[in-house]
Amino acid sequence: MSKIRICNTAEIPSNGMKDYDVEGGLKVLIANAGDCYYAYQGVCPHQEVCLAEGYYDGAVLTCHQHLWQWDITTGKALGLAEAPLEKYEVKVEDGEIFVLQSSALKAAQLFMDVSGDTLQRLDSLARREKYESGSTLYNIGDPTDDLYILDSGRVEFLIGRDGTSPAGFVLHKGEVFGWAALLENQARRIAKATCLEDSVLLRLNGEETLKVLESDPASGYLVMRKLSTLITRHLGSQGEK
Amino acid sequence: MKIQVNARNRAHHFNATEGEKLLYAGLSGAVGLPYECGSGTCGTCKARLISGEIVDAWPDAPGRKYLKGDDEFLMCQCVAKTDASIEVASFVQTMEAGVCVPAALKGHISSAKLLTSDVIHLQIKLSQPMEFDAGQFVMVQVPGVAGFRGWSMVNYQREAESLEFIIKKKPGGGISEWLFNSQCTGVEVEVFGPLGHATFYPGLSKNILCIAGGSGIAGMVSILSRAAQDDYFRQYRGDVFFGVQTLKDAFFLDEFSRLRAQCGDKLNVTIALSKEDPPASALSDYPHLKFDTGYVHDVAGRHMQGNYENVRAYLAGPPPMVDATVRILLQARLATDNICYDKFS
Repeated sequence: MSKIRICNTAEIPSNGMKDYDVEGGLKVLIANAGDCYYAYQGVCPHQEVCLAEGYYDGAVLTCHQHLWQWDITTGKALGLAEAPLEKYEVKVEDGEIFVLQSSALKAAQLFMDVSGDTLQRLDSLARREKYESGSTLYNIGDPTDDLYILDSGRVEFLIGRDGTSPAGFVLHKGEVFGWAALLENQARRIAKATCLEDSVLLRLNGEETLKVLESDPASGYLVMRKLSTLITRHLGSQGEK
Repeated sequence: MKIQVNARNRAHHFNATEGEKLLYAGLSGAVGLPYECGSGTCGTCKARLISGEIVDAWPDAPGRKYLKGDDEFLMCQCVAKTDASIEVASFVQTMEAGVCVPAALKGHISSAKLLTSDVIHLQIKLSQPMEFDAGQFVMVQVPGVAGFRGWSMVNYQREAESLEFIIKKKPGGGISEWLFNSQCTGVEVEVFGPLGHATFYPGLSKNILCIAGGSGIAGMVSILSRAAQDDYFRQYRGDVFFGVQTLKDAFFLDEFSRLRAQCGDKLNVTIALSKEDPPASALSDYPHLKFDTGYVHDVAGRHMQGNYENVRAYLAGPPPMVDATVRILLQARLATDNICYDKFS
């Protein structure tokens, strides 16, 4: 986990916000709310609009393009928004604001409500792997040992439909796939996952992940709720045309 | 050609004919692809080509500045040469039942008359009727001027056989120069639509607030017509704010007076003049209307204070006016799903 200096607290207006470009092409939005500072992805997850150009009243952040909104304390989607904001951990030291760059695990919607302890244990299970553009991560019929979380890059995910006409979509940072690893009696992959560009993935063994979740049933329950919602979304996408 | 779109949530399939813009082909197939202007400027309909061959009909489109890689393109400007797979970064849903699915139609200009020195009222007679929702717009292409332009309908009828528009003259604007300078009556045009999400339907059961600058008033008139046809203002309040620079730039004042007389005192129409105080003659000529001085969003903000309960707001006008109005409505704690506009101008 790396610690990046962003700015002085004095640069952020009271109940206001400002964005900064940091190394590696990342844009970070810093917002003040009373005594607290928050850091989020600086670009709207909808259509690449700078969030600093939007509206912020000290509690709710609104993107000015299509009025997606988020709770500034959590980054959770409000109103019309269809996706949460990626949140970064903030440290304030001697009037300077630092951002701790998070792992994809923390950004993953599936694990978003998990307790801090459990997240740390899951983090220690995660193996970070790099794949070149074009690599197939798994194919239909492969064993379902591992769960994947995309950290950077893009992965195309195709669910086989009568073997010929796949229902496909593209995954972005923080999205989870290969979730059959967390299910019972799903020993074989029903989908194909391919990297569309050079990508970094976190890979967690399914059985080990389930053990961690069993030891913290409250967190495990929330993960399973998120997982069943995720699967329902795919059921919907296969039925219609 | 068979087109597959991989969106963030799922894949969709549709057919595109030879020469048909991919955006229009997808929308005609009830696939809710992202768009705003539909005419190559806003960049909202950008997509990435995964496989297949496409041709860009307007390589100099200003919206191309939002593209990053060589494989990105604007769906509103590109046509497919072969079957193709494309990727869209946003969520894409199938259009809900009851939504008017857009289609390509033919028509001709049946009348064009000046409302002010720089505003034209244009009527297009369609070769077949079109269903649209109040507040929507269509893309129109005229011969000899490249590309489509988005214009909001002023009228509202079921199965409309003609469409009416308000068009402001823009210096150097290809289509408006053409309309103002030539004998355009009788000219054949191509129409694609209806488009736009800022629609009104009587089942809404909310007070409505319309804030428009200049020719943005077009869609509001459509909304008011539909509401009046349904006796909507017997039960719900309607507050309309129409911003222009001076009284000479205002139009439709007789229509607003008539609507006000028909709908009663739950409907209030205020004309906001940004560059002059309302002349005394305005008040005596239009006793049913209100007049005020200032930018239309400021005037609306003043008049609406404390009156935002159960309100749905419709906005249209130049982008800075829309942005300023959104800010005022958010400060007034209006929920975002009750702030409706299409950024197509």
